[in-house]
Amino acid sequence: MRISYKWLSEYVSLPPADELARRLTAVGFEIEAIERVGGDLAGVVTARILASEPHPNAEKLSVTRVDRGGGDPLQVVCGAKNYRVGDVVPLATVGARLPGGVEIKKAKLRGVESFGMLCSARELGLSADAAGLMILPAETAPGLAIADALELEDVLFEVNVTPNRPDALSHLGLAREVAALLGVPLKPPRPALREAGGPAAAAVAVRIEAPEKCGRYAARVVEGVKIGPSPAWLARRLESCGVRSISNAVDATNYVLLELGHPLHAFDLAKVAGAEIVVRTARAGERMTTLDGKERALDPDDLVISDRDRASALAGVMGGGDSEISGGTTRVLVESAWFAPPSVRRTSKRHGLHTEASHRFERGADLGTVIPALDRCAELIAELAGGTVREGIVDVQPRPLERAAVRLSFARPAALLGMPVSRADAERILRGLGFEERDADAEGATFLVPSWRVDVSGEEDLVEEIVRSKGYDAIPETLPPLAGVTPSRPRDAEALDRAREALEAAGFSEAVNFSFVAAHELAAVSAQAPIALRNPISADLAVMRTSLVPSLLRNAAYNLRQRVDDVRLYEAARVYAPHPEGAAPADGPDGSPADEAWRLGGVLAGRRSPLGWSTASGPTDFYDLKAALEGLFEALGLAEVVFRSGGATWLHPRSAATAVLAGADGAPRELGCLGELHPTVAESFGLPRGVLAFELDLDVLAERARIVPAYQPVPRFPAVLRDLAVVVGEAVPAAEVLSRVRAEPLVEGVTLFDVYRGAPLPAGRKNLAMAIRYRLADRTLTDAEADAAHTRILERLVADPAVRAELRSS
Amino acid sequence: MPDPTGQLQALAEAARSSIAAAADERALEDLRVRYLGKKGELSQVLRGMGQLPPEERPRVGEVVNRVRDEVEGLLARRQDGLAREKLEAELRGPAIDVTLPGRRLAPRGHRHPVTRAMDDIAAIFSRLGYEVASGPEIELDWFNFEALNIPADHPARDMQDTFYVDGATLGPAARSGVLLRTHTSPVQVRSMQRAGQPPLRIICPGRVYRSDYDQTHSPMFHQVEGLCVDRGITFADLKGTLAAYARAFFGPGTRTRFRPSYFPFTEPSAEVDVSCSICGGSGRKDGKRCGTCKETGWLEVLGAGMVHPKVLANGGFDPKQVTGFAFGFGVERMAMLRSGIDDLRLFFENDLRFLGQF
Repeated sequence: MRISYKWLSEYVSLPPADELARRLTAVGFEIEAIERVGGDLAGVVTARILASEPHPNAEKLSVTRVDRGGGDPLQVVCGAKNYRVGDVVPLATVGARLPGGVEIKKAKLRGVESFGMLCSARELGLSADAAGLMILPAETAPGLAIADALELEDVLFEVNVTPNRPDALSHLGLAREVAALLGVPLKPPRPALREAGGPAAAAVAVRIEAPEKCGRYAARVVEGVKIGPSPAWLARRLESCGVRSISNAVDATNYVLLELGHPLHAFDLAKVAGAEIVVRTARAGERMTTLDGKERALDPDDLVISDRDRASALAGVMGGGDSEISGGTTRVLVESAWFAPPSVRRTSKRHGLHTEASHRFERGADLGTVIPALDRCAELIAELAGGTVREGIVDVQPRPLERAAVRLSFARPAALLGMPVSRADAERILRGLGFEERDADAEGATFLVPSWRVDVSGEEDLVEEIVRSKGYDAIPETLPPLAGVTPSRPRDAEALDRAREALEAAGFSEAVNFSFVAAHELAAVSAQAPIALRNPISADLAVMRTSLVPSLLRNAAYNLRQRVDDVRLYEAARVYAPHPEGAAPADGPDGSPADEAWRLGGVLAGRRSPLGWSTASGPTDFYDLKAALEGLFEALGLAEVVFRSGGATWLHPRSAATAVLAGADGAPRELGCLGELHPTVAESFGLPRGVLAFELDLDVLAERARIVPAYQPVPRFPAVLRDLAVVVGEAVPAAEVLSRVRAEPLVEGVTLFDVYRGAPLPAGRKNLAMAIRYRLADRTLTDAEADAAHTRILERLVADPAVRAELRSS
Repeated sequence: MPDPTGQLQALAEAARSSIAAAADERALEDLRVRYLGKKGELSQVLRGMGQLPPEERPRVGEVVNRVRDEVEGLLARRQDGLAREKLEAELRGPAIDVTLPGRRLAPRGHRHPVTRAMDDIAAIFSRLGYEVASGPEIELDWFNFEALNIPADHPARDMQDTFYVDGATLGPAARSGVLLRTHTSPVQVRSMQRAGQPPLRIICPGRVYRSDYDQTHSPMFHQVEGLCVDRGITFADLKGTLAAYARAFFGPGTRTRFRPSYFPFTEPSAEVDVSCSICGGSGRKDGKRCGTCKETGWLEVLGAGMVHPKVLANGGFDPKQVTGFAFGFGVERMAMLRSGIDDLRLFFENDLRFLGQF
């Protein structure tokens, strides 16, 4: 909200602007911006037009002579037509610089000399009005600096008023806070109405059919008005607060809105059919055109202000075109009402209409300001547009003006704040803010809440008022005692941290992607129907991801496009899916509307090692990714993971694996899959062939991780080393051979150190060379025992039909 | 046979000069064979001993032994000397080029700056006795709003633009009133309900969502929520806790400032500023206006307050018996301020040239 320092100063005496901004911020009204205006019009003075003649050489120009309050009259060439001889207008003299940066120079326009420029309000930066010269009041003396003549200098504050404080959405409301803050008196406007011409009730009738949505409806009638433009001071005041000047009667309502914070509406009484106001909900199928020119289909929940025949305003939100004040209006009906906040909010949301009025009503207007605002507005209309205010008010009030009563225990502020607060302090502060003390005893008192403080309903609210006034700086800094606290770290956090470290050690950097993706991206990797958003930002961010893979593939493509050739990225995040059938979501603290599972995904592209002077580096392949994941499983203490051929549909069927963990209960659990991307998937994400990716179930990893490893004795007796080379068929997986080697009890470990294909081996055969380590835990193994074991292994490999090995004959 | 003593003296003499002159281990080995070998000169003398008169033999034998000892000593010393010379020569040789790059088999991976900040934040609060709690991101309206004293049709809902879930896509659990949590605050009530009784001290880091997307707003970002509930918890405890946190995260000289504000779920509420991490709170940086704090010296980073009695009650606690404080803040903003990152969008582009800096 924009607040004018000058306007504010009419109701309370103010400290300098910067000091005021600091103090207001300190009590919860954050000043977001300070703008100083009107001080930059040096060289612009008031001038009276003495004569005006057509320009001899230009049809659109005139040559004027103006009196600038002394010296000889000046000749000024002018393009506007909206003035008459005798008008007082702003003159930018030679040397003046206008807000747009234009410097005024002596000029010759189509052969006629001009010693300055007559200005529009827009050229002076005072309003958006560019329709001709700015005509000043006739009594303005020529020769005054324009800033003085218009009292232009002001400071405008952009105030951030929190949604709980609608009472501060006006100059008087903020002045009230300042008065309490500084302990100085508040000077509210005191309308002095002269009523005449018979009772208002004879001119209009008011009926409320929806009393739960309209707590009060009061109306006055002003007759014999002449609608015209507002005086410059008023228009400027509205515009400095961001409200467009429309006409004197409408401006009066807006002025009172900005002054007292209460929204008002003015109707042309001649257009109110039946001279009758009915406050009711909209009828089924009813339509109306609002002041912004839009025809709206009304909802039966919308509250409308209707005449005898039809709706003429959306109550508390916006007026209607039919009953709008126009140039021909002579009788004005002024509405001052109180509408229920939820109803106004629903209507405002439903029609996408956020207005100054709805902003205040939905936060809660002051029932106690309905009549003062009405009187103030009627007074202003009569003053600005002439006319007389009819006697009395037509006032219907279903909701009584009741003030909330809140009990305060005088010990409570200190107990909640952690600093001493005396009873006297509490009473003084609350009284200053308009609270009235009742039923005081030794422990506490009841405070009657001022009608405008719709936010105060409980003891904590009173404590907040007290601390706002004392300032948070007065509260000391303490730390609560640590008694009863268990500083443990959840297992899954520990496991996740280790998983991250393992992947980072393998060169993977962590990515963080949005949880929502495009439906088609997800469809490329997952057949599962995702959870969709009702109001997504765009189709690209429309469904909750069921897999981390699409986002990571997009990241890889992005980096490759940026010429980052070696891409290793991982992400640890949740994926989202509907709860499976039968697993109805438990409500309560551990329930959830959807199934959220943690996944660990990654993508790998580019070279195996960074390009270097001493490392031979080929492109990464399946085994680089597998090594990274083996490192990950090792870091989590999961030695028993096995890799099976074949994986998800988004992987290349010839280069895909599924990691499987043998369950403690015997049942194998799939951890996820890894491999090279399926060529069509790679293509759809704009990736080259050969990019690798994985996705694992992080919940299972965390659940099964061994955070604290079990101890294995360090060997005390020497090992015997023997190499073994066997030739097997190409289709025999290495794991089949290795597992049979490990099956020999004397084998401590085996390392496959070479795989050879080619001459002299026949096609379809491969040689596997292994280093086997034999050892006994309780004594030194003899060479003979090792040789016997070695022979047993070889015989088993040769005999086993799943392997059918031959000893390599070199 | 002549007395071999003279011959032995000559042998010793020749050995002394030839061993001293031996240029390498091979020459030295030749000398060892020549003097001490089975067919060496000393052996020949010994072999001739048999021809000496028996009374001469002990005397000559003694000389032979002395000469052998001497030659062996000379050989050993020369051997040491040669080894030393060889080592010295090696050490004096040309140095390797230490400026060639180290051999990296795999580059190091980097943790995302948001995770890094969350890890640091969790560690700081862990030292203050806080446990990490979590809750769903696809959340019920009740936990996200109602339980936090933000009823339907309340203007405070405008403070957070909400993504709603299409209830029909929730499968067998289809229901309405489901949204993406707009803050981590729903975990407050969930944690209170889980705990059942005080004391309770949790932080909840996590993803949150608001339907706002421009240069300074991301539809998804991260928050950390904090909650401390017990008998006798005060606003002073809140101030002390956040001041300690700010010093730990931004550096020991960091100051904090509390300003009154409004959140429906806390009362009293505060916005918390920290002294600007870029200009140190002076408002000026390198003689110029500090753009980060806009010359104010302060950065608004946190919302906090005493837990509203209605929220305590929704969490199952009696507001007459216990009090508590809560706070929440955006992790990206913390990370941006700490590292001087100037564009929010960098966090979600996942450009390795950005990620690699952390």
